[in-house]
Amino acid sequence: MKYYWTCYLPSYPKVILYMLQNSEYRVGDFLHWYYRTRDFRKVMKRRQLIWTAKVKLLGLVELLIILAVLTVAWLSVSLSIWLSILILLLMPIILVYAIVIPLWAGRALIQRPKEKRMIAKATAKLDKHPAKKIAIVGSYGKTTTREILKTVLVEEFKVAATPGNMNTPIGTSRFVDTLDGDEDVLLFELGESTIGDVRELCEIIQPDLGIITGINEAHLESFGSVENTISTIFELKDFIDDSHIYKNSDSRLVRDNTIKDDPKSYSKKGVAGWCVDRVDVSLEGTKFTLSKGKKSIIATSKLVGEHLVGVLSLAAAVADDFGLTTKEIESGLKNTQPFEHRMQPYKLHGAWIIDDTYNGNREGVEAAIRLLDQLDAKRKVYVTPGLVEQGNRKQEVHENIGKLLAGVADVVVLMQNSTTQFIQRGLESAGFKGELQIIDNPVKFYTHLEHFVAEGDIIMLQNDWPDFYE
Amino acid sequence: MSKKETIAVFFGGVSPEHDISIVTAISSVIRPLELDGRYQVLPIYISKKGIWYSDSSFKKIETFSGGGISELLDKLKPVSVTFDGGLTIEKPGLKRSKIKVGIAFPAMHGGNGEDGSLMGLLRMANIPFVGCDMPASVIAMDKLLAKQVAEANGTPVVKYEYLYADAFAEKPDKIIGELEKSLEYPLFVKPTHLGSSIGISRVSNRKELQNGIEVALYYDNKVLVEEAVPNLVEVTVPIIGNEVMMPALVERPLINDNNVFDFDTKYMNSGKKSGGKHGSQGYSELPAKLPGKLYEASIDIARSVYKAAECEGIARVDLLIDSKSNTIYFNEINPMPGSLYSHNWRKSGISNVELVAKLIELARQRYEKHKKLEKTFSTNFLKQF
Repeated sequence: MKYYWTCYLPSYPKVILYMLQNSEYRVGDFLHWYYRTRDFRKVMKRRQLIWTAKVKLLGLVELLIILAVLTVAWLSVSLSIWLSILILLLMPIILVYAIVIPLWAGRALIQRPKEKRMIAKATAKLDKHPAKKIAIVGSYGKTTTREILKTVLVEEFKVAATPGNMNTPIGTSRFVDTLDGDEDVLLFELGESTIGDVRELCEIIQPDLGIITGINEAHLESFGSVENTISTIFELKDFIDDSHIYKNSDSRLVRDNTIKDDPKSYSKKGVAGWCVDRVDVSLEGTKFTLSKGKKSIIATSKLVGEHLVGVLSLAAAVADDFGLTTKEIESGLKNTQPFEHRMQPYKLHGAWIIDDTYNGNREGVEAAIRLLDQLDAKRKVYVTPGLVEQGNRKQEVHENIGKLLAGVADVVVLMQNSTTQFIQRGLESAGFKGELQIIDNPVKFYTHLEHFVAEGDIIMLQNDWPDFYE
Repeated sequence: MSKKETIAVFFGGVSPEHDISIVTAISSVIRPLELDGRYQVLPIYISKKGIWYSDSSFKKIETFSGGGISELLDKLKPVSVTFDGGLTIEKPGLKRSKIKVGIAFPAMHGGNGEDGSLMGLLRMANIPFVGCDMPASVIAMDKLLAKQVAEANGTPVVKYEYLYADAFAEKPDKIIGELEKSLEYPLFVKPTHLGSSIGISRVSNRKELQNGIEVALYYDNKVLVEEAVPNLVEVTVPIIGNEVMMPALVERPLINDNNVFDFDTKYMNSGKKSGGKHGSQGYSELPAKLPGKLYEASIDIARSVYKAAECEGIARVDLLIDSKSNTIYFNEINPMPGSLYSHNWRKSGISNVELVAKLIELARQRYEKHKKLEKTFSTNFLKQF
């Protein structure tokens, strides 16, 4: 209640619009965030409100609601001054619920029927499309897998892949609408956050080949349990024969749910009879050899990290299956580049910065710490706000991150939030002897990074913490 | 939550290096201090008229680069200072506030700031402050005195003479004649108290010498005239530390067409020549490509002079090398290097944030050490009156 007065600041209606926009107009997420927020002055920290047509319309609705509430409060004075005061006191909450109603109504009456029509059209179009359709599913690593496969397969084929995060039924349908119809390979990234999500997408796509990139506790809050995550991801099996599903056995939860010696398992050791050898990881890239019988592929990639050997091998194996020559595969692998904000190294004042700021999962964090361990540096710095959506494993996951970091990093920089104490505890329990910095203004830190670095440093930036999680 | 300690950053000042001081303070001191997050930063800007102001807008370079500083100063009221067993800054205005300064960070270049006067004031206030103490600042900011200290320390210096304004005004020809008798052209003429190479000229004949002296006397009452070093390689060694010293990399700055590492070359021509590193000090070779022994010897000489002049906190020692005879001469000490020479420290493995943190730690160490010394002595002397 201490900060309730901040609901009466002139910026409050704008903050509500900002929160709606940043929770992608999902009413549940928005209300969750709203009720967690105490001080509304501190909400708009990371981004700016973008004045889209939707925001402008909602802004107008807000204005009308405020005017209506003020009018009612004024008219109520004649009945009871206390009633007027009560209405004024409740005005911020009335505003929030009243703004949600047109959103909900718009969704139910206009958006839903429109989406259904789009999905039906996409399903019909894909049914007739002659391309090989590959479905990429998993809690993490989907985008990386999609991009590597695309880069290798374009050496020979016309390939189209779902862009950005168009991984929902409606996003996929929009993507299908853009297809020319003469593509050879279609790559679909499947988003999943509740039971049935993979099934719903597979019904649209009808995939020929599947890839399970990894399973972890992501979206645990919406799934309810890891078992639900696993069963959702394996919904893929209802649409594709198991012998056509590649599974990343570097992921423990995938491995545990796969038969032993599954020929379609892939890992940093190899895939489908291809064996990995002579792995060399540096900030310049990753090198290794793949061999199967008499065939040998020298894999060189600008991608950084041992954890990518598995997926690079997978891309080579799929390309080989699809008939690409060794030369084409090697050339395709060579073209793979670090993706923006994912283990992307660059130099700053003589220091190496590894931008891994889109990495928001436990496996990614472990891979990043492993990479930091493998590299030589005058000072190894790990920067993290922790991980979101870890459900009841939040404490365990973050203590473990602290323990892993203790033996690797010279400096650990934590962005102050609810996970900080757990990482700190993990560091302490593992006898961390380095320097610990706790930053309360992450934006300031990231925008003035040049003041924190020096020659010979390696700074690993792990971060994927939208402000509505706190 | 405990209240953060206040660090007062002093900058600007009545000095030709006023503008450089603003850049040093904002980019290399205030910003890293704020990023460090442990301190409340209080900017104290000393105008060109010598008036002290404090305003949160002084933390941004735009306040000074935008051209509206005079108008802003007209609106602001000067701060007042109280010596209350420490140092308290009082900001006037409607929201009158008194701020107790925990530590001072002088980021001043040139007269009335870098020359020991501000350090004297902070000593009187009995608070810890960053950088060289008063005696070292006095020595460092007098090129002649610094040379004499280095000479007494057994460090080679180039052959030099000096003159005063009054004497020169009376008998210029006699003085020039004596200089010509004692020294050999080419010569360097330098005002003794200015930094950032302001007012320095290289002269090769009597006419140029006379002009050079007149230019130098425009800035200072005491002028140093010294022989140029043949086959010159000029290097500079930034050092931090009190008793325990920590040198950064030996750096070879750009020299202009007149063989002078002057103001424009240092601060205005950044990046105009190809190659090398563009630090805050323009073009330089970092680390300097010197034969192994010369590199190490430069560091040894710099450390030796730093110690002899009783420098503490931070300073930069400039050296002149005759690359044929491999002789290293001490040139001068800069007790508050422009931008703290942060580009060099960063290359040496110390980030801006770490650098200011180390300097504050050094300031605290010195303060604690001084505090232990007995400063008063009880006598019955007054009883006789």
